[in-house]
Amino acid sequence: MENYTKYKLKRNDELESLLADKDNLFIIACNKCFKEFETLEEPECSEFEKIAAENGKTVTGSARVDFLCNKTQTEKKLQDMIPEGTEHVFVISCGLGIQTVADLAEKPVYAASNSLNYTGYHGMALTERKCDACAQCFLNITGGVCPIVDCSKSLVNGQCGGAKNGKCEVDSSKDCAWEKIYKRLEKQGRLEEFLNQPVQLRDYSKVNFKFVNDYVKSIRENRLDGYYGGVHPAERKEFTEGMALQRFPDPEEVVIPLSMHAGAPANPVVQVGDTVKVGQKIGEAAAFISSPIHSSVSGTVVAIENRGHATRGECLSVVIRSDGKNTLDDSVQPHKDLDSLTPDEIVEIVKEAGIVGMGGAGFPTSVKLKPAKPVDTILLNGCECEPLLTADHRVLLEFADDVVFGLQAIIKAVGAEKGLIVIEDNKPDAIELMKEKTAGYSNLDVVVAKTKYPQGAEKMLIKRVTGRKVPSGGLPADVGCVVSNISTTKAISDAIQKGMPLVERVVTVTGERLKNPGNFIVKIGTNTKDLVDYCGGVTGDDEVTFKAGGPMMGFVLSDLNVPIMKGSNGIIAVDTDHTAEQPCIKCGRCMDVCPMELSPLYFAKFADEENWQGMKDKNVMDCIECRCCEYICSSKIPLVTKIKAGKNAVRGMK
Amino acid sequence: MKITELFERGEFVVSAEVGPPKGFHVEHLLEEAKTYLSGITAVNVTDNQSSVMRLGSLAMCKALKDEGLTPIYQLTCRDRNRIALQSDLLSAAMFGIENLLLLTGDHTKLGDHPQAKPVFDLDSVSLIHAVTKLEEGVDLGGNELVGEPPKFAKGAVVSPCSDSVDAQLAKMERKVRAGADYFQTQAVFEPEKFIKFMEKAKEFGKPVQVGIIIPKSAGMAKFMNNNVAGIHVPDEMIEELKKDKEKTKAGITGVEIAARIIKECKPYCQGVHIMALGWESKVPELLKQAGI
Amino acid sequence: MLITELKSRETIAALTEGKKVFIINCVGCKEVHFPEKEATELQKELAAGGNVTGMITTDYICNPENMELRLQKHMDEIKAADVVLVFSCGVGVQTVAGYLEEKKVCAACDTYPLPGFQGVTPLEYKCDQCGECYLNLTGGICPITACSKSLVNGQCGGAKNGKCEVDSNMECGWERIYRRLEKLGRLDVLKCPTQVRNFATDDEVSK
Repeated sequence: MENYTKYKLKRNDELESLLADKDNLFIIACNKCFKEFETLEEPECSEFEKIAAENGKTVTGSARVDFLCNKTQTEKKLQDMIPEGTEHVFVISCGLGIQTVADLAEKPVYAASNSLNYTGYHGMALTERKCDACAQCFLNITGGVCPIVDCSKSLVNGQCGGAKNGKCEVDSSKDCAWEKIYKRLEKQGRLEEFLNQPVQLRDYSKVNFKFVNDYVKSIRENRLDGYYGGVHPAERKEFTEGMALQRFPDPEEVVIPLSMHAGAPANPVVQVGDTVKVGQKIGEAAAFISSPIHSSVSGTVVAIENRGHATRGECLSVVIRSDGKNTLDDSVQPHKDLDSLTPDEIVEIVKEAGIVGMGGAGFPTSVKLKPAKPVDTILLNGCECEPLLTADHRVLLEFADDVVFGLQAIIKAVGAEKGLIVIEDNKPDAIELMKEKTAGYSNLDVVVAKTKYPQGAEKMLIKRVTGRKVPSGGLPADVGCVVSNISTTKAISDAIQKGMPLVERVVTVTGERLKNPGNFIVKIGTNTKDLVDYCGGVTGDDEVTFKAGGPMMGFVLSDLNVPIMKGSNGIIAVDTDHTAEQPCIKCGRCMDVCPMELSPLYFAKFADEENWQGMKDKNVMDCIECRCCEYICSSKIPLVTKIKAGKNAVRGMK
Repeated sequence: MKITELFERGEFVVSAEVGPPKGFHVEHLLEEAKTYLSGITAVNVTDNQSSVMRLGSLAMCKALKDEGLTPIYQLTCRDRNRIALQSDLLSAAMFGIENLLLLTGDHTKLGDHPQAKPVFDLDSVSLIHAVTKLEEGVDLGGNELVGEPPKFAKGAVVSPCSDSVDAQLAKMERKVRAGADYFQTQAVFEPEKFIKFMEKAKEFGKPVQVGIIIPKSAGMAKFMNNNVAGIHVPDEMIEELKKDKEKTKAGITGVEIAARIIKECKPYCQGVHIMALGWESKVPELLKQAGI
Repeated sequence: MLITELKSRETIAALTEGKKVFIINCVGCKEVHFPEKEATELQKELAAGGNVTGMITTDYICNPENMELRLQKHMDEIKAADVVLVFSCGVGVQTVAGYLEEKKVCAACDTYPLPGFQGVTPLEYKCDQCGECYLNLTGGICPITACSKSLVNGQCGGAKNGKCEVDSNMECGWERIYRRLEKLGRLDVLKCPTQVRNFATDDEVSK
């Protein structure tokens, strides 16, 4: 692997003259980027300290910082970093870091290093291939060998007379690029084609400062829009966003796991051979953080045993053979109207209906509705920021009144002042409809948010909409908010208005490899394979990857023989990416995109070293597992897996 | 003859400039120069002015010199790296061309070959530095020249009416430190700004020639206001040009204005540099009106 | 991490006319620009002609190890093609060309020149890796990237209203430097010796 170290200390004599009239120095060194991420120690800082000492200078302190060029994070780190009495700040970094500090520090800032001068490195892998961004890609006439970076003279019409023994006249250890080009073309039988090329002329007019500046500015703005970080994966929602909900044909058998929520699995309250009806409770909440489970069909319990589970491998499940009649349980009765219900009654209904966060996390909603702190704002999460998924979008469009009802119920239960329905700007129809539906309510409003992943994560949503920042380790209620998912809110409405517990949900079945994508209302416990088969299976012969959930946070399904659960918002079939984990090159992009402003690269390093204390110190527990880091990682490091291992270990440390 | 010698003698130095043609027939240009510019001290020859490709400055300087005029060789950093620049300077010395005006040059994007590679290996300051080194008998690479080193009058430019005069003054100081012997300025239309500028610039102790353009029309004035850096033609001057179109067209108004500016600036500077832009024929009349 | 733009339709047509084509799209570097829509449109047209033997849309094709793993799954389709058309920056095309040495590998994109943009973090700062950091003389504003002529001894005469002669949307770098130095009370650094740039490269890095 090539080392793309970007800077080195200036020469001693230069530093000495630079230091001559300065004293009381603070030294900031950037931990180098684009290198093999093995050692943490950067020698330059101590070397410069030594030079300063030799010149009789007082050093007020020094610091080593990762990615000094990351202005947002550097700004934070710089606060309180430079001690009183410092007169001059010396920065050891590439030009980016020095300029960043020069802009942020109140003190005069000096460069103690030079960026190394080499051209053309631009890839995200540390390879020998370079690109000088000449705007006229010549690779088509050179057999894929770049004449701009590989030829010292950047000749574009053929070899000069300077090559000796196939080596360049400038550097005898460097192969002559045109010799390589010639051989490559000869091998491919393309010499005639080359000879027939018109004379090539470079065009240096393509540097458009305005375009570049505006472009870079727009990326920066996106990156910092609403909250720090995040990514913009291709949305690919067009497969299903226009497809109305269909009721999925009743399954003959359902497998209902007793754990579809955060916390303790439910205890079964039925036995094999029992007859059950739709909405009948079959599992009882086993703890404060737990949830009851209900039957989604009427029929007979044929087994209570471990079955395949999308996220846990196996889980105790109630298997029910449907009688096809969908007879409702007697308990399924509409409750009083919302005005007559007390907040506690609402929470109780939600709890008894087995409602849990249907965005995937599965946290019991009733617990959320009893916040420990006063809450003024309810945020309905209509972002559906996961690519491909359109389940919540369809619920908004087709159950708008139910969503509004559910929201009012939450507001009442929590005693909040207002409810905001937050929808990303890629769903204009839902925005328009919800604006219409909420027009008559003074306590409701629709907020349009610019599309960005992971906007649906509650901490990001709160920051974006209210500007409030949930403290590390805190909950939304700490900043006066409760966030609820769209499908969950609709389920609350069903529980109150119909008395129907959570026994079905909307699932998007989609992906570039699925034959006939669609949005379906599916009974909990329906086999995932049935859904995929119903949608025509997959297209093409290449290997396919199935996931429960979206492409970002979804779980890979190695076996489709698992049931649809309360949190199953999507089943996707996508191309398998054949890659293997490569060493971290310390590009820092995971840090750029982490919405929690963490440093995921260290999690990978520390997990491999089993340095759990290090993980803890780098705030691994704050990770929301949004997978932005893994998505952006050019080395394909399974960061979230490593983070989860770290979290487990840290939990065990207590 | 070096124009620095004239400054030293306390003479008010007058120069004008000519732009070589896009082509190699220079007879007409030489004829014009002889007719209208013989009376003045020196003639600047521009170097691919505005990044538009033309006949070379050095060759034109040689032709003018052969006709008995004193050329000022303008040299920019846009098209040549330090090797070519130093080489051309030695060529100039061989031809007996002693006066230089050393500039950075307009960007290639502004000219008629926007695709060209902008060189800027050196800039105006480092180019002056390079000439100073050559005069000391070494090149920029530190290698000794063979024989007697050349001697030049090293001219540089400055923009006194720029909207960032202080930055210009700082650059001027750097040029002086690098070895500039005299300065020619960007065209001045606001003498008061020039006078203010000179109050500071005189500290450098180097002669300055005020730059003069004869305004040809109100349209030209407005164009310069919108497009040319460091030039601002005040509104009343534009009104003056508008008043009598015939008179303006004949060049009478423009010459009047230019003469007035020269008169106002003269007490504060050591010479005048006229950028006639095709109106070389008006130069004698202008100088007459300005009392030079 | 670069911005790419499609080559002209004529250029791409000349490369693909009457040929079997295998297509590789790189959407690596994520938010950095790739003309995805235009590329998709063009590829649809190519596919409609029945001459596309296969296609991969993936990321970071500049990583040779992973690219090799991915290409191995498509070798039959690649063998069936006359030309492999890569939609990526120059690094990506070279990586593929290096692996498929016997195959005609062509670039469908030009890589946009980004003077000084290091592309790692979308920063407001740029570094051109000149190898002789001038920031000490300029109050921390880079004259190499902030000045379109990369002047190192001060402002040229081309700035108008504080804007660059090349692009009136671009602030004159030296004007900014002057203001910064003035603010810092460091105008004296302009009295430093004449700077002459050194264009020699650091051969310890350039291999």
